[in-house]
This record gives sequence, C-alpha cells and structure tokens, in this order.
Amino acid sequence: MTLNELMETVPAYARDLKLNFSTLTQQPELTEQQVWGTAVAAAVASRNGELTQAVLAEAAGHLSPQALEAAKGAAAIMGMNNVYYRFMHLTANQNYRNMPARLRMNIIRTHGVEAADFELWCAAVSAINGCSVCVDSHEKTVREKGLSEEAVLAAIRLASVVHALATVFDAEKVAAPQAVSA
Amino acid sequence: MLGVGEKFPSFSLTATVSTEKDPQKAFKTITDLDYSGKWKVYFFWPKDFTFVCPTEITGFAKLNKQFRDRDTQILGGSIDSEWVHHAWRTHHADLKDLPFPMLSDIKRDLCEQLGILDPQGGVAQRATFIVDPDGVIRFVYVTDGAVGRNPDEVLRVLDALQTDELCPCNWHKGEATLQIA
Repeated sequence: MTLNELMETVPAYARDLKLNFSTLTQQPELTEQQVWGTAVAAAVASRNGELTQAVLAEAAGHLSPQALEAAKGAAAIMGMNNVYYRFMHLTANQNYRNMPARLRMNIIRTHGVEAADFELWCAAVSAINGCSVCVDSHEKTVREKGLSEEAVLAAIRLASVVHALATVFDAEKVAAPQAVSA
Repeated sequence: MLGVGEKFPSFSLTATVSTEKDPQKAFKTITDLDYSGKWKVYFFWPKDFTFVCPTEITGFAKLNKQFRDRDTQILGGSIDSEWVHHAWRTHHADLKDLPFPMLSDIKRDLCEQLGILDPQGGVAQRATFIVDPDGVIRFVYVTDGAVGRNPDEVLRVLDALQTDELCPCNWHKGEATLQIA
C-alpha cells in the first residue's frame, strides 16, 4: 500500500492526524530532505510495520539512498542512546555519567549527510522516545549548526504526528485484523 | 620498535592472495595506500612452515568477518618470499582459503622500519599493529618465541579504539561541545 492509500484508511476519529500529516510534510521551514528524513526516522521509532513500510517507500522518492539510510541510522542509534542516556537522567546516581559508555555509535560520524539534518532526526527520535538529555543536547547541536527554532519545531510537529499515526494503525490492526492489509 | 602515535611506514610489497597456479592471480602488489579509509591489522610472524604460526593465522582468519564488519583489513606477513607463502598455503589445509593477503617483506625493509626484526634470528618477531585510517599506529602487541597471539584480544582492542561517545548526549553542562565532522 502506498502512503497515500494508507492515509485513506485512517479512521474518522483520527482525521486530525491525517490532515496534520499532509500539511506538515509541506512545511516551508524544512527542506525536502529534512521533512522526509524526519518522517522516516519517526516512523522507524514509532514501530508500526505498515506505516514504516509506506513511509520508507514514499521517502525513497524524496531522498537520496544515502539520506534514507542515514535517517534509518538516526532512528537506530537513538533507539540505543535514548535508553542509555535517559537512564542517566532518571537515576539519582551521578557516578554513571563519568563511566565509559562503551557503546559504538560511529554512524553519528559516518552517516554521510548534512550534520544538521542528521542531528535534527536524532532530536525528533529523542522526542518520541522521551529522553530529556538527548532532546536538550541534540536541540542545542542543531541550533549551533544553523537551523532555526522554527525548523526544529516543524520537525517535532511532524514526528509527533507520525508517532500518533503509528498508534492508530496499531489500534486498527487489533480492531479489524483483515482491514489494513496491502 | 615503532610505537603508538607514530605513522606506519610506507611500503610496496608483493603479497600472496590465493593458491591459484597463475602468478597473475596468486600475487598482488600491496602498498600502505591500499584499503584507503579502512583500519588495518598487520601481523607478522617469524617463518612460514613452522608450528605456532598457522594456529595464529587461522585464529585471525576465523575472525575475519568480525574485522571486516569493523571496516578493518587484516594483512599478514613475514620475510618469506611470495612463493614460499604460496607453497605453504597450497600444502596446509587450514591456510588454503585464507581470506586475507600474506605480505612478503623479502628485503626486510618494512620489518626494519617497524623495528621488529629479531636481533638473533634476523626474521620478524611475532608483532601485531593496529593502524587507523590515517595511517597512525594505535596498538602494538609483540610476543616472544613460541607464544602465540590472541586474535580475540586484538579484536577487543580494535573495538575499544573505534568506540567513541560521539553523541552530544554525553555533553556535560559547562564543557565545550563535541566537534562532529
């Protein structure tokens, strides 16, 4: 199912999300790569198979293969960092922050796309995964690399809606298992 | 002996890359500029056709995929000629399908520059170097005599060298921010 076709299956109670999604992929504050990279990273982080598949297929028409890989990579690595560093701010024991993480995260250096965009995707995923340390540090880095607050917010809006859509598709799958197939 | 932080020497050596009978296919010239962008593990042994060496070499061969996954090229070597390497690989079951080249440092140039020629025997010592993509030595490991190396340890160190906390999540208030390339 294409992304457009999938969006047509969004139930009436989630009409807001469907409309938000279509508006938010057109936000002028973001470049095409930023929009679709955010959508990809957010979809991957939101864990619904159908949405992820449809977003990946659609994004392939908007992103270079390198950017598509990088967006998936951002979601992948933040899946790890968001848990690890969230632990750091959840625990009262500050000693852990001074101990070596021993976690490979070379993709943060080797992703091959604009650093600001990769960091933006990391910030979006961190917002979804709820890591406050990550949100703070990636937001700061993105702004240092030249993106405006408006651009950051645009990405967060999009990520929020993608996440919400994932929950809807999960709910609909349970409600009517045969309804949302290809 | 060259140490951590020093540049690995330039070299251009014939290497044995397969047991094909055709020399065009069996041998290849390899230089320090090959495998650009990759890490390298160079490991030397004293002599072909001896006993400890094949177990170490096959030890590295078993881990070749793990090294490849870490963008690392293994390069073995001794002062034996490429033909001796070829004969050894052809006749030793465990070395036939070796997935990495065997360098022939026949003039002892490279070993001399590395400082690993044994003063008694005149052949290479059992030395291993991890070299980063900029050509800088990051780990040196040498054992005496008949004590074989532990390739798992080399992998462990490589992994640790490659593991950097690149995430700004590690930033502590008041510290300078990370310079991410």
